[in-house]
Amino acid sequence: MGIRKSVATLGATELSDLRDAFAAVYGLRDDRGYAFYAGLHGLPLPEYCQHGTLLFLPWHRAYLYFFERALTDALRRARDDQTVAVSLPWWDWTSSPAHTDGLPAGYLADSGAGDNPLAAGPVTLDDADLAAVRENLPGAITDGPNPVTVRDPDVPDELPRTQTVARALNSTTFSGFSTLVESIHNGVHGWVGGAMSAVPIAAYDPVFWAHHSMIDRLWYLWQISPRGANPPAGLLDQALAPWPVTVRQVLDISKLGYDYAAQVIG
Amino acid sequence: MVTAAAARTGDTEQTLVIDLPFPAEEGRAPFTRADVVFTGVDHSGASYEVRLFLNNPAATADTPRTAEQGYAGRFTIFGHGGCYGDEGHCEVPAPSADPTDLRPAHPLTPLDTYVTITDALRRVLADGGALRTVTLVPVSITPRRADRRPAPELLHFTEVTLRTYLTSTEADAEPAGQ
Repeated sequence: MGIRKSVATLGATELSDLRDAFAAVYGLRDDRGYAFYAGLHGLPLPEYCQHGTLLFLPWHRAYLYFFERALTDALRRARDDQTVAVSLPWWDWTSSPAHTDGLPAGYLADSGAGDNPLAAGPVTLDDADLAAVRENLPGAITDGPNPVTVRDPDVPDELPRTQTVARALNSTTFSGFSTLVESIHNGVHGWVGGAMSAVPIAAYDPVFWAHHSMIDRLWYLWQISPRGANPPAGLLDQALAPWPVTVRQVLDISKLGYDYAAQVIG
Repeated sequence: MVTAAAARTGDTEQTLVIDLPFPAEEGRAPFTRADVVFTGVDHSGASYEVRLFLNNPAATADTPRTAEQGYAGRFTIFGHGGCYGDEGHCEVPAPSADPTDLRPAHPLTPLDTYVTITDALRRVLADGGALRTVTLVPVSITPRRADRRPAPELLHFTEVTLRTYLTSTEADAEPAGQ
């Protein structure tokens, strides 16, 4: 699929392609569309995502892999161009720009002309689920018909720091690394606020994917470090439902057709 | 190891204070890393964070997260924000003893996590001091920041343990700049 880059280094064409790809999947109502993929993380039930287990990293790697493919498929169909492709960028929330400006500019509503598909995602749930979300999670989605995700970010300097990530990368066991990275990940979900702050609807916010691309990248960096280690052997052949892949099959990203652009953390 | 039942409510009734003495016995216990480990942590409700303060039983959500206040770190729980199924959907069953039961664990199965408190513990132990208590300050992480507040009702766990490690590998060294 290609090289995943930092959102801070995307060129104008790359950002435009990414926005068009998100707009294209928003428009698909079947199992190629955004509602299908975002819904797999939480609502509508069943909830497939893995949190608080050692499947957290492998499951989300598979999740990004299949969604990234769906983005490219949708963009190719929308443009009638089989050569175009997009990769999920990562949001480095440890970087100096993030600690100054917060959310990446490319994901803000006022960052360009017209509607930015990366600023908010449609929350296409049935009436019962929408009512439950509005009751349990006020402020997560907009009021009225055709709701979209809302954000309420904290001050930028509350984002995770380079030293915190370095501590995770110094982990010597998969379980230690996974637990620490997941806790860091949890904090960023809370930092963004709004829909991102709750499991059932977090994946409806398009910044979810940039956040998880960062998490997946950290796992990759740890994997290729001297301390990197596989998950426990007993996990390797576990399926990552609903994806038709096992933990073992997502360990090597080169076999998944993508890579991460080289960049110094921070 | 201390069970949740042994924790006492702080003065404001918004925190939990846990007696976690260290060194537990006479003499110094050397360590290169120290973690406070939580097991059986609930994540079924709203998201929340738990701030840890050492030897500061009066700490609250308004206490600055500084070394002077005994702040040692925090963990964040990414919550499910309530139950969206029918009655009983969010009741976590006991682990199955049936070897033919291939069903995955319930999504709301309580989790384990930890906070590394090495530097904060070293500060407490400096000049002959000792760790007496760890105060847990839970704060909700609601979608709207304006709604966030002390949330003792969200924090449920089974046990908490102080674990120290004595290692000399480069991998366990604290990153520069700590």
